[in-house]
Amino acid sequence: MLILLRDRVGLAILFIMPMVLIFVMTLIQDSAFKSLNEKGIPILFVDDDKDSLGIAIGQGLKNSELCSFHDSINGKPASADEVKKAVADGGFLVGIIVPKGATEAIRKNVSSLVQQTLGTDSVLSAGATKKMSDSVEISIFIDPITKKSFLTSVTSSLREFISVIKTKIMFKTFSDQLAEIIPDKKTTTSSVFEKTQIIKYKEVYASKDIGEIVPNAVQHNVPAWTIFAMFFIVLPLAGSMVKEKNEGSIFRLHTMPSSFLLLINGKIVVYVLVCLIQFILMLSVGLYFLPLLGLPTLVLGNSIAGIIIVTLATAFAATGYGVMVGTMATTEQQGAIMGALSILLFSAIGGVWVPTYVMPQTMRHLSAFSPLNWSLNSFYELFLRGGSVHSILPDSMKLVVFFFVTMSIASVVNRIKRKI
Amino acid sequence: MTSNTIINIQNLSKTFIGKTEPAVNDISLSIRRGEIFGLLGPNGAGKTTTISILCGLFPPSSGKINIDGMDLRGDLDYIKQIVGVVPQDIALYPTLTARENLNFYGHMYGLKGKALRDKIEMWLSNFGLTDAANRRVSTYSGGMKRRVNLIAGVLHSPKILFLDEPTVGVDVQSRTVIIDYLKELNKSGTTIIYTSHHMDEAEHFCTQVAIIDHGKIIIEGTPKHLIEESLGSTNLETVFLKLTNRALRD
Repeated sequence: MLILLRDRVGLAILFIMPMVLIFVMTLIQDSAFKSLNEKGIPILFVDDDKDSLGIAIGQGLKNSELCSFHDSINGKPASADEVKKAVADGGFLVGIIVPKGATEAIRKNVSSLVQQTLGTDSVLSAGATKKMSDSVEISIFIDPITKKSFLTSVTSSLREFISVIKTKIMFKTFSDQLAEIIPDKKTTTSSVFEKTQIIKYKEVYASKDIGEIVPNAVQHNVPAWTIFAMFFIVLPLAGSMVKEKNEGSIFRLHTMPSSFLLLINGKIVVYVLVCLIQFILMLSVGLYFLPLLGLPTLVLGNSIAGIIIVTLATAFAATGYGVMVGTMATTEQQGAIMGALSILLFSAIGGVWVPTYVMPQTMRHLSAFSPLNWSLNSFYELFLRGGSVHSILPDSMKLVVFFFVTMSIASVVNRIKRKI
Repeated sequence: MTSNTIINIQNLSKTFIGKTEPAVNDISLSIRRGEIFGLLGPNGAGKTTTISILCGLFPPSSGKINIDGMDLRGDLDYIKQIVGVVPQDIALYPTLTARENLNFYGHMYGLKGKALRDKIEMWLSNFGLTDAANRRVSTYSGGMKRRVNLIAGVLHSPKILFLDEPTVGVDVQSRTVIIDYLKELNKSGTTIIYTSHHMDEAEHFCTQVAIIDHGKIIIEGTPKHLIEESLGSTNLETVFLKLTNRALRD
């Protein structure tokens, strides 16, 4: 403990750097989350149609959570000719032009279709076939950096707007035509059309009894980088063990009447304590400091016992791994490289950097072998899904087993090394 | 083995993994209680390996060792309790103070509370380190580090003290203080097994010496006896050079 307290740089690495990491990563990823969840992606819209379709699309984009709506450049209404250049210059990620007469073209096509269907105007039928070949071409200019997923969302929304408008026009035309055939029938109003929209969607995140927890950068990053920082104690822990070997202290300790595990117990207690302090500090960043920067407050779920169990299991797993690396390494450089690279690898496959659900199938299978993934899953279970002690026990047990396995390996390696 | 024998070594050999030549080759020794036994030899002769095996750092390849009536392999825990080790390298935590280092090692030997504090203060005072006791060891001179290194090995008042080159690289003053206190310790009943390159020091300090080379004991006896037996030798150094020759060792 004293040795650790004397190493101010080491302490800074252990406590301050991970906090900075959480700040930076959350802020960076918050903008990424915002770009998908909030009004982040800038879209330039030009409505040359000035009719139902153009108005509906414009209104839809304005109300969409996917984008930030713009219809002017530098305060002046944008023209169709300017859109491509504006997007190419990087000012907007997507540019959309609804051409003149788009609604009218739909109207004509629908009208011809209805007349053909009802057979109300046989004279028009021949001409209608010709008119039905008129197509509506909405131009979409895309910045090459735009995510494919976002583009798909935009085009889907456009298709939806067109479909709604088409249906509305069709409904009205049918209604008008029917009114002509059956004179007693009143023309159906648009409100009746609205009433036909009987299928509605409600999106609810599937969390358990913890109200509305919205997945955001804070909910994802605070647990992820906390676990990463906790496992990073491998470096100072392994380093201190190698130092003891090099400075000769371990020579004296091995001649003393205490077993290897007893010698190492002191280190385990100290570093588990370090992990717990790290956890409290990281949590306080999510609870109190990130909100000061305008970020959402971390929601802890409803199982404090679960949080304590996962944190302790993670702390022991990280410490056990550090002891194993420290026992195996013969130089400080070896310990640092072995420790740092393996933690980076474990964190990468464990879903700290990129969520496991976006990984290829093979990597997803691999992630099941990362202790960071077991810990992360448990925290997601508690923080995002409102899980209980019961739901985090399997992964917590894996972490505890990992601790015992690493300690056993360290003990065997130590015995082999001392037999020389 | 008589009751006066505290260490009995029979046919001790050690060959390290990957090596063909044994570091220690069929050594047999008997060390009596209360002796200051000097294990002398050139670099790579097998002195440190022998001491490391005796203090339980690693097992021998073959041979039998009995310490204070106990078998080394079977009763290592007891043997570790009665043995003190002062390694050749400074085995201290440089970022801790001398007092903190001694407190830690004392605890590892099961000492605690006032008894431990009193012992630390006594030894620090004996070795002239009281004023510097709260300074980090990394700021100490070589001689001061050697003195703290020695205290860490004797805090628990061991029956047997292994000293591997305890005075290497220190000034005459520190060396004199260390040797004087080791003599005091010996008078109080501690058996001392000591390795050194300083033949003059060994001649005056040791009651019994063995000269070891290429892992084998070449000769054993009192310094006086060895000098008398070696024709034309007037001191232990000339005896040593005659027996181990003048060729340089790595």
